[in-house]
Amino acid sequence: MWRYEKRLQYPVNITTPNPDMALFILSQYGGPDGEMGASLRYLSQRYSMTNKECQGLLTDIGTEELAHLEIVAAIVHQLTRNLTPEEIKSSSFAPYYIDHTTGIWPQAAGGIPFNACEFQSKGDPITDLTENLAAEQKARSTYDNILRVVTDPEVCDPIRYLREREIVHFQRFGEANREDGSKIPYEIEHITCLLLFG
Amino acid sequence: MAERNQVCEELLKQVYMSGFAMDDVLLYLDTHPDDKEALNYYRYVRELNRRAVEAYEQQCGPLMFDQVESEEYWTWVNGPWPWEGVCG
Repeated sequence: MWRYEKRLQYPVNITTPNPDMALFILSQYGGPDGEMGASLRYLSQRYSMTNKECQGLLTDIGTEELAHLEIVAAIVHQLTRNLTPEEIKSSSFAPYYIDHTTGIWPQAAGGIPFNACEFQSKGDPITDLTENLAAEQKARSTYDNILRVVTDPEVCDPIRYLREREIVHFQRFGEANREDGSKIPYEIEHITCLLLFG
Repeated sequence: MAERNQVCEELLKQVYMSGFAMDDVLLYLDTHPDDKEALNYYRYVRELNRRAVEAYEQQCGPLMFDQVESEEYWTWVNGPWPWEGVCG
């Protein structure tokens, strides 16, 4: 069960709009390594996770990813406020504007819509936790790419925060993977049962 | 243990009922922010919910992580988790 807390996890206050940057950053909303995929990945993987610490970690990181999704949306929203038709027309944001005005819609920077194929929920704890390690690094790389092209400090600041959280999540998933891996005998036993009686 | 589970099941039922009343009046008040009767009802169910949550957490464990009280162990990760369909 969830309840909404009326604040962003990290503040976003952008005073200068920039539609080109908005389109880049939108990729972390609904792109291949974005926060939508991250939150759905972890929250979906919980049901087949076999130990309680990992169930807790997936719940809590999945929840934090929803807060990150909101931060990314806030950045894109503030970067596309008060634009003139001329500013839109001369930017890479123009095709997006035609389809969505300045509404927030989950797509990659290149326009590819959000797709559940961007994450896996395999029903195997080791497989899922290992996928999550890669996912956090892919998201970190994307934030690195964004930081290379963004110059506005008001945009860089929350992006740096999001990048840092990817690293923290990677660390925690690494610990969870080792913890879960130490319980492999049970898994092997389980698989043997499947082979014998499945 | 079985007795504790039964107690927790009963306490959780109170949380479910008062929690749903909160969820429902929330939506109503969003579209009727000046309805005095609904505002009174909100205060009434909020108190019911507060008491139900407090009673549950005292005996059965935290519903939200910031209600963990133990100084020995992070009881937030104690199973079962809600989707496992077992109470307390």
